[in-house]
Amino acid sequence: MRKRALGWLGDAALILYFVFALFPIAWMVILSLKPADQLFSTYFSFSPTLDGYRTVLGDSEGIPFVRFFVNSLVVSVGAVALSLVVGLPAAYASARWRFKGSENLMFTLLSFRFAPELTVIIPLFVLYQKLGLFDTYVGMVWVLQLVTLPLIVWIMRSYFADLTPELEQAALLDGYTRKQAFFKVALPLVKPGIAAVSLLAFIFAWNNFVFPLILTSNEAQTVTVGALSFLGGDRPKYNLTAAAALVSVVPPLLLALTIQRYLVRGLSFGAVKS
Amino acid sequence: MTGTGLELCELRKTYTARGRPAVDAVRGIDLSLRSGELLGLLGPSGCGKSTTLRMIAGLESVTGGDILVGGTSVVERPARQRNIGVAFENYALYPPLSVAENLAFGLKARRRAARGSKGDVERRVKDIAERVGLTGLLDARPAGLSSGQKQRVSLARALIREPDVLLLDEPLSHLDAAQRDTTRRELKRIQKDLGHTTILVTHDQEEALSLADRIAVMRDGVIQQLGTPYEIYDSPANVFVADFVGEPAITLLPGISGGDGHARLSEAVRIALPVRVERGREVVVGIRPEDVRLTGEGGLPARVVAHEPLLESGLATLALDGVERPLVVLTDPEVRLAHDERVRVAADPQHTHVFDAETGDSLR
Repeated sequence: MRKRALGWLGDAALILYFVFALFPIAWMVILSLKPADQLFSTYFSFSPTLDGYRTVLGDSEGIPFVRFFVNSLVVSVGAVALSLVVGLPAAYASARWRFKGSENLMFTLLSFRFAPELTVIIPLFVLYQKLGLFDTYVGMVWVLQLVTLPLIVWIMRSYFADLTPELEQAALLDGYTRKQAFFKVALPLVKPGIAAVSLLAFIFAWNNFVFPLILTSNEAQTVTVGALSFLGGDRPKYNLTAAAALVSVVPPLLLALTIQRYLVRGLSFGAVKS
Repeated sequence: MTGTGLELCELRKTYTARGRPAVDAVRGIDLSLRSGELLGLLGPSGCGKSTTLRMIAGLESVTGGDILVGGTSVVERPARQRNIGVAFENYALYPPLSVAENLAFGLKARRRAARGSKGDVERRVKDIAERVGLTGLLDARPAGLSSGQKQRVSLARALIREPDVLLLDEPLSHLDAAQRDTTRRELKRIQKDLGHTTILVTHDQEEALSLADRIAVMRDGVIQQLGTPYEIYDSPANVFVADFVGEPAITLLPGISGGDGHARLSEAVRIALPVRVERGREVVVGIRPEDVRLTGEGGLPARVVAHEPLLESGLATLALDGVERPLVVLTDPEVRLAHDERVRVAADPQHTHVFDAETGDSLR
């Protein structure tokens, strides 16, 4: 009896949380479907229209949202790719060897994550202006390393550390070089980790707001900043902002769904005694 | 196919880390294995046996000394140029690959270096699988294998390259008792068949005693004694070896030599020694449980502390009168002893060991 009551209570709590979590999204969906003239007149009864989406994707209102979207893709994918190229060897090295200052180096890398972006943004802005990196892809990919690199290095480090070094040592004895042992033995075994961490890094890069806000103006602007453009002008167009925001949720969502199975850390290694 | 001899000369390893005192893991080891010999490196964890193995394999740098394979120094060579096979404790099998692919993986690294064609690889995989008894398992994945099978794959992987020297790192430690026995016999057969010069590293004396031609007992980076299993067991060089080898363990009792071929363990107990030791010298007398008999008359007076019937034999713990440390005695299976029962025991002086109390060295 008591168990049953607890179950109901639990269900009720879950439903409550569900509503709490999803209501803002539902509100966004409603907002994005409203025609411009009914934006402020009603809550739930309105004549739904896809005009908002059409406007956002149709490049009208003078705001190139599609380009922002492509910018976001390019910049986020670029940032993750660069971080993987640099970060995987770094993660491996720091997991396998303890060298002079290795812990300090790793901590410095981590500190990029917890230092507020706002503390560096003004000097970065000046630097970017001088170096010609302002409002460029290169500049954005570069600055996003502050977001993606620590994440990839730290998470992949623990994946590598979990691999028994004997696998690589066996390869060394077989006649492989250190480099081959890394590429042929260690790297393929952490593929699930790479998938998971890449997704995570992609989402963080995609969601970043402050860097594109200050370091881009138009050419390299991303959706997070671009979506806000619809609020400018004489009348804030909430329906367009909502539609833009919902469209910009699609890539991370799709990505998450496709590599979902990697996200569960199902690394059933048979290397160690089971 | 035969292996090649292996020699370790004054091999040393010192670990140095900043801010910490240097640790001497291996302090000058001299070993010489003739071709085809299986030497057991036996010792407790931390004695330097694994470090020694890793230095031979080339996975650990050498602080001092030399390693000769077939008369040639390999110290300067990286692991991949030493042609030494290692069967790792944790098997080190590559999970995404099948058994056959795991075996071929090792060959592929050297294939370009004149080790033959693809067909050759297949033939050798089949060949080694047959010798090691894996023929039916070539398509299986490591995750689906039992520990004993994994160990055999690991061994096959080390052997397929036809290494000059084979190193086995605790090969049986992850197996259950039944598999351990069969795998041990298999291991012995395979090693004798293929004739590789082999070093077996283990902390398990049973493994070393049953597999090795000779055993080196190690402690604190130093070889305590080198000899055949019988030599190690019958005439241990010091207290450590005596204590480490033998199951159930030897009983070590402190006493004082009377100078008359006896040692006094207490007011009431005098025990005959195999050798004469000068009067008044402090000694440790070692008696193995199987070298003590219960006697009706004569012998040493004792009281039964505990008796464990173990079916094929019994194990009695006795308190010799006035002696603090208990004496462990292996009894016949039919013997029944009650707690506190008075008994008399006799130890065969020829099988009694006597050590110097201070240095621990054998006085025999």
